[in-house]
Amino acid sequence: MRHGSSLILVTDPAYSRHDTGGGEHPEIPERLQVIRDAFDHSPFAQSIHILLPRPASRAELLSFHDEAWLFRFEEAVLSGRTYVDHPDNQVCYESYSIATLSAGAGLSGIDRIEQDAGQDIIFCLTRPPGHHAEANHPLGFCFFNNCVIAARYWQNRYGRNRVAVLDFDAHHGNGIQSALESEPDTCYISIHEHPSFSYPGTGWEEERGLGAGKGTVLNLPLPPGAGEEQVRRLLPKIRSFFEEMQPEALIIGAGFDAHVEDEMSGLAFSTPLYTELGRFIFELGRDFCSNRVLSILEGGYHLPRLGESAAAYIAGLLKDD
Amino acid sequence: MFIHYHMTPTPTTMHPEQTVAEAIELLACFPFRHIPLVDDEGVLQGIVSDRDLRSAKPSSVAQSSQRAMVESKVMQTRLSQIMSTNCRTLSAMATVDDALFLFEANAIGALPILDDERRLIGIFTIGDLLKAYKTMFGVGERGAAMISIVDDGDPRIMSKLIGIMEEKNVHCTRLLRKSATRRTKAMIYLRVNTYNTRAVQKAIEAAGYEIHVPYSAV
Repeated sequence: MRHGSSLILVTDPAYSRHDTGGGEHPEIPERLQVIRDAFDHSPFAQSIHILLPRPASRAELLSFHDEAWLFRFEEAVLSGRTYVDHPDNQVCYESYSIATLSAGAGLSGIDRIEQDAGQDIIFCLTRPPGHHAEANHPLGFCFFNNCVIAARYWQNRYGRNRVAVLDFDAHHGNGIQSALESEPDTCYISIHEHPSFSYPGTGWEEERGLGAGKGTVLNLPLPPGAGEEQVRRLLPKIRSFFEEMQPEALIIGAGFDAHVEDEMSGLAFSTPLYTELGRFIFELGRDFCSNRVLSILEGGYHLPRLGESAAAYIAGLLKDD
Repeated sequence: MFIHYHMTPTPTTMHPEQTVAEAIELLACFPFRHIPLVDDEGVLQGIVSDRDLRSAKPSSVAQSSQRAMVESKVMQTRLSQIMSTNCRTLSAMATVDDALFLFEANAIGALPILDDERRLIGIFTIGDLLKAYKTMFGVGERGAAMISIVDDGDPRIMSKLIGIMEEKNVHCTRLLRKSATRRTKAMIYLRVNTYNTRAVQKAIEAAGYEIHVPYSAV
């Protein structure tokens, strides 16, 4: 393990109160608990520190989302609705405030990164997830786009305009792409299952950005069944893309549902592959972003493998040279 | 399915008496490749494509001393001299499928859409055809995923699948049955609007059907 580095877990007990209604809904509070348990039994258990997040302010939420969506979301939960727009997007009475706290995790993490000059590993152990959320509506269990709100905060609070978001969740982060695809300074890289077979049906390789943002999106769809070998082939492409874009801060959409045992995708990632990804991301952060790397939990639904995969990823981030 | 809903209405047109130079200038300014030519009453007289215009010009690699003179002459040529006059057309009540067959059989890229008096009311291109089918099949629709099911020949499979979707309260937007070919099995394609596609797959499997997963051969 790298000398002197701690793992800062940005998390809050309130996250477990976002109630998705039971039944077959896979985005459940136990997801965070299994990750926490796996971390507590890992070789890096002694280096874990908890950082309680602050909620994202209304202005910070509005850095991506429409005000109409904020009103609609808040009104829906306060009026006792059980979902918003689609049964996938289950909510409870507290979901709005918990979602603001989930969006705030990245902001607290960024403050910490800027204070300690990237010395520590920052992982936002948070829910609800965010990468499908669009400016004006929820999608795929996501209400506020945690990664985009964090990117905006890095730009607005610290003036780091060249923010990269790398998303290795099995599903394409349509909301992140929508937010960033027209901008020349930010970039979005996504490894995901091919949109012909997988939710949310976006993330085509041909989509490379729009207008002034042309060339800033790198979609890397994988066919069902793809695993280590296919992912390893992508890593040089991602590194070349970083060389071209020269980002100064890196946000990771860390989803673990590409694991072979996770039924939410047809991908076949192994647990050790997440260590490789962690190591690769550490190197990207070191070589391009002065170690300014923020990881935010997205998907991952097979409880035993979720904890194990997240721990493997952190082990990769912390691995010695 | 009607062309009327997918065509570009009131497209940019030119008069047959205008010149090649004017047509080249027009195509340089706009992202289309076909110009319908109409008379003063808007009746279709022909069509020119960027290919027709390129063919009319002398080759850019030609070394002849006459080249500049020939090019100048071409640029002043009336469009009526190079336009296609026997072009295929459709009415607004024709279908996207009609256009598909015409494109396939005639190696053309655009179809003028005419009213009963042969006045031009729109144009339908191969790009419009792709967009129309993309919309029809829901390709790229945000929040959807496609599930492939092996068609076992059960005559009631379609209604059973819809029943499963209703029972599970899953939004389903497309259901398509495709016969077997020499290279593929008979399949049913179901486009569902849910993140939890595995729950849908399990329900379909529980009903006795086989989900087709095209696992990577690499």
